[in-house]
Order: sequence, then structure tokens, then C-alpha cells
Amino acid sequence: MKLNITLPKFLRIGTLPLVLIALMGIAFVVAIWRYAFGIGDISDLSYSYPWGFWISFDLFTGVVISSGGFLMAGTVYILRIKEFEPLLRPSVLTAFLGYIMVAVALLVDLGQPLRIWYMMIHWNHTSVLLEIGICVMTYLTVLAIEFAPVVLESFPKLHKIAHLIHKFIMPFVILGVVLSTLHQSSLGSLLLIQPQKLHPLWWTPILPVMFFTSAISVGLSMIILESSLSSRYFQRGLETHLLAKLAKALPITLGVYLLLKFGELAVSGDLGYLFTSGVMSVLFWAEIFIGVLFPMVWFSIKKNRTTPSGLLTGAVITLLGLILNRFNVSWFGVKHPDPLYYLPTFMGNVDYFPTFPEVAVSIGIFSAGIMAFGLIAKYFPVFEAEHETEEEHAHGLQAVPVPGDD
Amino acid sequence: MTEIKHHAYLFDATRCIDCRACMVACSVENNIEMDKTRIWVAGLGVTGKYPDLQRGTMVYHCMHCEHPDCMSACPVGAYTKAEDGPVTYNPDLCIGCRYCMNACPFGVPHFDYDKGLVEGAFIDKCTFCPQRIYNGQEPACVETCPTDALEYGERDELIKRAHERIAAHPDRYINHVYGEHENGGTSYLILSHVPFKDLGLPELPEEPINEVSETVMEMTIPFALSWGAVLTAVTVGVAAYDKKKNGNAAEKKAEESK
Repeated sequence: MKLNITLPKFLRIGTLPLVLIALMGIAFVVAIWRYAFGIGDISDLSYSYPWGFWISFDLFTGVVISSGGFLMAGTVYILRIKEFEPLLRPSVLTAFLGYIMVAVALLVDLGQPLRIWYMMIHWNHTSVLLEIGICVMTYLTVLAIEFAPVVLESFPKLHKIAHLIHKFIMPFVILGVVLSTLHQSSLGSLLLIQPQKLHPLWWTPILPVMFFTSAISVGLSMIILESSLSSRYFQRGLETHLLAKLAKALPITLGVYLLLKFGELAVSGDLGYLFTSGVMSVLFWAEIFIGVLFPMVWFSIKKNRTTPSGLLTGAVITLLGLILNRFNVSWFGVKHPDPLYYLPTFMGNVDYFPTFPEVAVSIGIFSAGIMAFGLIAKYFPVFEAEHETEEEHAHGLQAVPVPGDD
Repeated sequence: MTEIKHHAYLFDATRCIDCRACMVACSVENNIEMDKTRIWVAGLGVTGKYPDLQRGTMVYHCMHCEHPDCMSACPVGAYTKAEDGPVTYNPDLCIGCRYCMNACPFGVPHFDYDKGLVEGAFIDKCTFCPQRIYNGQEPACVETCPTDALEYGERDELIKRAHERIAAHPDRYINHVYGEHENGGTSYLILSHVPFKDLGLPELPEEPINEVSETVMEMTIPFALSWGAVLTAVTVGVAAYDKKKNGNAAEKKAEESK
């Protein structure tokens, strides 16, 4: 039997948006709970594990998957490779939303979320976290400026402002690239202060360099992923020829990263750990195989670069592997000192495993990001640059499903 | 009482009887719940095989490092290292990021995981009892210790005393004063009859741990400026090249159309 219910138009919002809204709702409830009763009430964080899933996923992963923004801005504005322009706006939007997600997640994670702005006035110059905080706050502003014309263009009265921003965009682009370079690498520097706690397979004085190098590969993969997904969801054309060029660059960027990784291990004499550290060795090889070696081979094959499914598969696998790296560095590879084993039980908990509410917060924030991307892409000309050249423009626009009509 | 230039503790593991009076004294003195004590006593139990038995106890609290990693890590500068030894924490600046807990090699700073937004979740750690030491008294934990396992005084003198004690009883002690050089030196010195590792103390280099990250941080501004300059140069260069190329193309076009 088939039910035949007709909903009023404003209620027809599709399955994906509904799921996203539900996930956001769960996260919201958990966050309220956390603000009322404390972080310990909903998470497994402890004296021994002050940083857990939130930092690994929301901060480390959230920042690195937003690196497409500065890559495209640099390519289009600084290197003036104009053919990549269709990818610029979606990348900048992804970055903008990504950083907002990072900021929102930190508001849940911080003990004093209302004091987050203290970072702007109380500076401790030796703190890596301060640098990241300042960079992220400033870069968020830069991204807002870079993306503003897209919104402003939709309102004829505001065209002048959009034009003005466009005229003076260059200093902001350069500032954005510098800030991104700084904080993408500084995320690695965050771990420099715990050589005793981080496994030697990952701890190295050149962690910042590693982080920046891998961030470039993540950014490229992320652009491929986000273009592929949005082309499927919005049923618009895919810029396969452009993505193929990005995919061609991936084996090179990943190759540099691979050389750095093993070169560093060889120089510091830590190569032995590759096979002797049990789970740590497995995690290290998993990250290398999934995130570096496999994509290098995959994207060296022309067929994989030129077909939408090949591009998507390769990008997803690269991302999984490189995100595993961020988890390894910030969580799996971190062993807090054993003195804690003898602590009274209330301080204990040497083994950390994220709780359901903890993960729910992150998923909810992520859902909000996807939702926001969908809504903005629907109502503002994010993909416009490409529409102009495509004949099915009119057709494609009509076929857009409604990601959350309100 | 003579004025102390560099306050420090000396803990002698052989003297500790695991009575935990210091934990009570600390809680009472600083008016904090026992659950959140700033000093904790770890009984390691009896180890070894009969008749070679040993028992060990470790009293653990903030090491008051000479180059504190918590202070180096804190983004808002909530930590200060006083000239005369104590490392103190200022809750008025703390944003609750818990980076200090990650940075501390000894796992000292504690966090109010049970406090919500209204009460405010802060870090807690040993303050070195400033209300006592600056009035000529010993810290609460030291004063209450019945066996003098915990002692307090001038750092240099305590180091001297520790070495004298080792020299007097070489069979009783391991010939090392933990904290004399570890992590660039600490103001909580430890004497032990069992390996320091068994007491749960990390093996640390003599150079301060935070040297690497602080060096990287010093390079940040120069790097940012030069990277910005390079990018600007590239921008100008590419723009000029583009203009020239387009100009040539336009000229050619014009010539062709003639």
C-alpha cells in the first residue's frame, strides 16, 4: 500500500536536510547539557586526557579540510590562473564555513567559552595556541571579505560595495595565504611541547612543515570532493577537466610529503619504530598507505583523473588517510605519562574513548556546515562563474532540489 | 627566619610513611575539596620478592619548573613564574583551553570537569601557599609532614642537603637528585631509594622541553613578513607578465586586423 500524502510546499524539504536538522538538534541539546553540568558530564575527557575527539576532529580536521580556500585564492588571484575561477567560490565558501565550524566547536570545548576573545588582548608570545587563535580569527575575517561579493552581488543596491571589495581584494588574498600558511603549520607546532607524550613516529621538530605539506594535499582533495558532491546534489555540470589538473598535482604534493616523512625518520634515527611499535606502527603505515601511497598510484592513472567516479574515490581515500594522520598526531599517538596510573581513581582514566554525546556535538556542527553550504549555494551565485559557460544552466537551476526550504 | 631567594621543596621518598596528612593539610589550608587536592600521595605498595622487599611512596604535586611548560603553552598568559620560584595560575585570564594540561610533562594542572557555564570551569594547581611562605611560614603540606619527608627552603641549600644525604647513606639512595636538572630544573626536588621511573616520574632531558616550540614561535613573525613579501612580489610579477602578454596579444590582433 502506498500512502499518498501531499505536504504543503514549505514542508517539502527532502530527506538529507531533515537528517541534518535532526543531527543539529541532538548536538544542540548535548551542548546545552554541557553548559549546564560541565564537560565531564558528557565526555570522557579527564585529567590525563584533556584533549580528545573534539580537538582531533573539530580543530585538527576542521582546519585542514578548509585549506582549499587559500589554495584556490592563491591560484586564481596571485598566480592568475584564471581557468580555475569556477572552483574559487565554492572553495572559499567551504573554508569560511569550515572555520566557523571550528570556532563553534571551540565554544563547546573551552572551559570559559565567553572569554574566547581574551586571545585578542592577552598575548603570551611563546604560545603556539595563541598564534593559531589569532590567525584563525583574522583569517575568518579575510574569508568573509573574500566571500562577501558573492552575497552582495545578489542585491543590486550593494553592487558598488562588491565592486569596491573586488578592487582591493589583493592585499586580503595575500594576507589570507600568509595566515593560512602560518596556522596550518602551527597546528603541528601545537604538539612540539609534548615530545614525551607523542610517539616518536610523529614527533619531530619539523612537524609544522609536515602539517603544511599535507594540508596542501588535503585542500586539493577537498576541492575535488566538494565539487563532486555538489555537482551530484545540485545536478549541475562537473568541472572534470579542472579537477583532473588538481588530481595531477596530488601525486607531486604527496610525494614531497612522503619524502619529508621518511627523510625525517631516517635523519632522527627513528626508522626502527616503523616495525617495532605495535599498534603505533600499524597506524603509521595505515596513514601512509591510505593517505599517501594509494592516492599517488591512483591519481597517476589517467582514467582515474578524468572520470567523476575515479576523482571522487581517490579524493575520499586521500582525505581519509590524511585525516587519520591528524588523529594519530593529536590523539592515537599521544600517550600521557604513566604516573597517572597510581592516581586515585577520580583522577584516573588513562584510556580515553569518546562518548556518544561528544561525537554527537561534532557531527551536529558538521551537519550545520553542510546545511549552510547547501542553503548558500542555493540562494547565492556560488557556482555562477561556471553556469555562464554551460548550456544546461537553465535546466540545471530548475532541477535543484530544495535543501531546507523556509 | 632568613629571607628565601628561591623557594623550593625537597621530598625524600625513603622517609614518607604514606600517612597522607599533607593531602588533608592542603585541602584545609586552601579550602578545596579532597577530590580536587593539589597534592596527592601514591602508595606504590610492596615490590620485589621476599626477602628483598621494598616499599615506595611518592608525594606528587606541581614541580614549579624553572622553565614551566604550562606557562609557555598558555595562550593568554594565565601562568606566571615568580623570580623566587613559585609558578602560579591566574583564573581571571584562563579561557579553559586545557593546553597547559597537555603541555605539563607531569600531568599537574587539573580542570573542573564538573562545572558548567555559570560556575565556570577553571584549572587548579599548587600555588606554593603564598599566604604562608611570604609570612615566614612553611607551605601547609611541609609543615604538617610528621616525618620530614617534605622539606622546604632555599633551592640551592636543599640541593646541597640532598647531595649530603646521598653521600652519608650511599646504600640507601639512588645517586641522583630528581629536579636538579630535569626540564631545566624544578623547584620540587626528589630523593629516592627506588628508580625514579617506578615513582612514576618521566625521564626528561636537561634542556627545557619548551625550547623547540619557543624557537619555532620566535621564527613566526620574520617568516610571516618574508612570506608576505615573496607573495607580494609574485603577485606584482605575474600581473606585469600578464599585462605584457595580453598587450602583445592585443597588438598582434590589431596588426592582424589591419
